Amino acid sequence: MNAQQRSVVAAAILFLAPFLATLAVFFVYAFCRAVYFSFTNYNLFDQMNFVGLRNYAAIFGDNLFLSALRNTLLFSLITTALQTILALLMANVLNQKVKGITFFRTAWYMPSITSSVVIGLIFLWLFQRVGLANYLLTQISNYGSAIMTFLLVLVAVQIVQVVLERARRLPASWFDPALAVVSALIALIVTWLLVNFGVVRIGDNPAVNITYYATQEKLFGFLPVPLATIIAQNVFTTVPTLMLFFLAGLQNVPRALYEAAEIDGATKAQQLLYVTVPMLRPVTFYVVTVGLIGTLQMFDQVAIIGDAAPLESIVTLAYFVFTRVFSGGVAEAGFAMAGAVILAAITLLIVLLQRRFFVSDEAFQ
Amino acid sequence: MKKIVLLGLALSTLVGVASAQNVTIKINGYGGTDPAVVGDLINRFVKPAVAKDNITVVYEPLQGDYNQSLTNLLSAGNAGDVFYLPGETVQAFAATNRLLPLNGLVSSTPFLAALNRTFTVNGKLYAIAKDTNSLAIVYNKDIFDEAKVAYPNANDTWTTFADKLRKVRQALGNDYYGICFPADYARMGAFAFAAGWRPFDSQGRTNVNTASFRRAFDFYTGLVKDKTAIQPSDLSEGWSGGCFAKGKVAAAIEGNWIVNFLRDSAPNLKYGTAPLPKDPTTNRRGNFLYTVGWAINANTKNKDAAVKVLQALTSVQAQTYILEQGLALPSRSALQRNAFFTKNTPESQAANIIFRGSSDGNVQTYSAGRYTLNDFQRPINEALTSVMTGQATTAQALQRLQTALNTLQRR
Repeated sequence: MNAQQRSVVAAAILFLAPFLATLAVFFVYAFCRAVYFSFTNYNLFDQMNFVGLRNYAAIFGDNLFLSALRNTLLFSLITTALQTILALLMANVLNQKVKGITFFRTAWYMPSITSSVVIGLIFLWLFQRVGLANYLLTQISNYGSAIMTFLLVLVAVQIVQVVLERARRLPASWFDPALAVVSALIALIVTWLLVNFGVVRIGDNPAVNITYYATQEKLFGFLPVPLATIIAQNVFTTVPTLMLFFLAGLQNVPRALYEAAEIDGATKAQQLLYVTVPMLRPVTFYVVTVGLIGTLQMFDQVAIIGDAAPLESIVTLAYFVFTRVFSGGVAEAGFAMAGAVILAAITLLIVLLQRRFFVSDEAFQ
Repeated sequence: MKKIVLLGLALSTLVGVASAQNVTIKINGYGGTDPAVVGDLINRFVKPAVAKDNITVVYEPLQGDYNQSLTNLLSAGNAGDVFYLPGETVQAFAATNRLLPLNGLVSSTPFLAALNRTFTVNGKLYAIAKDTNSLAIVYNKDIFDEAKVAYPNANDTWTTFADKLRKVRQALGNDYYGICFPADYARMGAFAFAAGWRPFDSQGRTNVNTASFRRAFDFYTGLVKDKTAIQPSDLSEGWSGGCFAKGKVAAAIEGNWIVNFLRDSAPNLKYGTAPLPKDPTTNRRGNFLYTVGWAINANTKNKDAAVKVLQALTSVQAQTYILEQGLALPSRSALQRNAFFTKNTPESQAANIIFRGSSDGNVQTYSAGRYTLNDFQRPINEALTSVMTGQATTAQALQRLQTALNTLQRR
C-alpha cells in the first residue's frame, strides 16, 4: 500500500468512524448484551445468574408470547403484501404525465410524513363505536337502495350509449369518460325521481354498532379485528413512502419497452404485469425487505391503542418485550430478552428466505 | 513554610466542612402540573424548614410513564434521594431493595392508618402518603332538578341509586344518560368490595367466580346494557369527568381530581357529591383508596437530610396549604377537622365526602399486590367490555377472566 492509498483508507475510516462507533455501541454491544441477558435471570436490580435455556423453554409456554408471535407474523405478511401491491399501483398512477401531478404526488405523500401517533389517534377516533366508520356504514345501509339504483341505471345507460355509438361506427370504449358523465347525470335524475315518487325507499335503520377495538372477534376466523384496523392504518401510512421508491424505479424503466409492448398489442394491464413488474424487481426486493423488517418490529401503533383493545388481539413481539421489561420495579428482563432474540432471529430468517427466493438484481443486467 | 502548610490545612478543612454541610436533595415526581405545585410547596415550606441545615432541594419531574422512568433511574443508580411512590407500585418497587425502610426514622402515627398499611410490606414502611383520594358520586344538580328526581344521597343503595338514574333518563329522553363510567376495574372494583369481594385470598389468588363479584359485575354492566349508563368513549371522551363536564350525564364516579377539572372546564356546572351507594345485601359501601407516597432512595448518600426533606414535605403546614388551595386531600388524620371540610361550597363538600370515603366500609388500595396493576386489571376490563358490548354473557366473560387471572398468577 503506497502513501496515497494509505491516505485514502485513512480518510475513509475517518468518515466512517462516527457511524461505526454508533453501530458498535448501539447495535453490536446492545445486541450481544441482549443475547447474554437472555440466558440469565436478570431483573434490572439483583445479581444475575446463568440459567441456560430456561427462558427459551419457558417463553414457548407463555400464552401471551404465542399470541404475540402469531400476531406479528400475521401482521407482517399481510401488511407487507398489501403495502407493496398498493404502492406499486399508486406509483403507476402517479407516473402519468398529466396536469397537476405534482399536487397529487405531494398530497398522497402526506400520510407518510405525519406522525404515527397522530394517525393512530385519528384511526382510534374513526373506528370508535360512534366513529366515522360506523356512521358511513349506517348511511350506506340507509341509502343502499338508492346507491344501487344509481349504479344500475348508470351501467344500463352507459351500455345503451356505447352500443348506439358503435352502431354509428364510432370507436367508443366501454369506459368512455364523456359518455360516463352523461350516464351519471341521467342516473342521478332517474334515482332522484324514483326516490321522490316513493319507488325506491330510503331506510331508517338503527345506527351500525360494530366494535372495532374492544372485541375478541376474528376476521375470516384467524385475523383479530383490532389487528386488522392496525393493518389498515399501517398500510395507509407506509404506502406513500414505498410508492416513492417505486416511482424512482419507474423513471428508470426504458420507454422503448412499453412502446414495443404496445406495438405487440399488449393492454395497459399486460404492460404492468409483463414489463413494469419484472423491471422493478430490484426495487420490489428493497421494498419487501424494508417492509418485512419494519412490520416485524411494529410497536407504536399497539402502544397507542393500549387498553382500548384486548391485549391478545393486538400484542406483537416488540410490545411483549417492552411490557415485560418496563412495567415498574423488578422486571423479567432475562425472559423478555429471550423474546427479543427470537424476534431478531425471525426477522433474519424471513429476510434471508425472501432473499433466497426473490431474485433481487437481475432486472437491469 | 510551616505556616503555609498550616494555612493550607485549615483552608481545606473549612472547605471540607462547608461542602459536607451543603447538601443537595434531589426529588423525583410527576411531570404535568406537579412541578408547579411541588415547586410552590418546596419554596413555601420545605426550603425554610431545611435551610438551617444547609440543605438545598431540587425537583426533577419524570415526564412520560413515571413507573418506567423510575425503574430505569433506580436500576442505573441515578434516582433522586426522595421520590414519589404510587400506592399501586409499592410491592413492585420494594422488591428492588432500593427503597429505604422508614421504620424508626419517620413517625407514621399522624397519618391515616389505611395509607400506612398501603405503604407497608412485610412490616416495613416504605413511604409516607403525601395525599389521599377515594371515589364518590358526583351529580349534576340541574339535570336532577329538570327531571324532578331526588339527588343521590348517603342512604342510597345500588337499587335506589339505579332507580334515580333510570328516572332521570325516562324524564329527559335519549340525549341524556343517567351515569357515565368506563369498563374499568378502577370503578367496578369498588362495588365488588361493597359486596364483600376481596382481590386476593389467603394464598394470594384471585377468585372472580364468587356470588359477591358476580353481583357487582352484573350491577355495573347492567346499567350499560339497559342504557342507563354510557361509556366515555361513546361520547367521544377519554374519561367520566369529560362526559360529566359536557352536561349530558346526570352522574359520574370520580375522585377529588374532578373538582379542579370542573372548575376549569365547566365553571357554570352546578354539582353535588354523594358517597358511593351501599350494596343492598351487605348494607356496606366499598371504595378504592388512591394514594401517592414520598419514599427515600436506599442508596442516598444523605439519609438524614432526605428524612428532613420528607418530613417537611408532609408537615402539617404543607398539607394544610394544599388542602386549602384545593390541590389535594391530606394524608394526616388530624386534618379531617380542618375548617375547609365544613365550608358550604361544592369543592369543600366533595373533599369532605371523598376524604371520609377513604375509611368508610370495605376500602381497598388501588393496587394489584405483587402483580403489575395493568396485568391484573386488563383481563377484568376486557371481561367488562365484552359484556357491556353484548359480545359475551356474564358467565362466559367470568370464565374467560378466571382463566386469564390463573395464567397471570401461575407466572
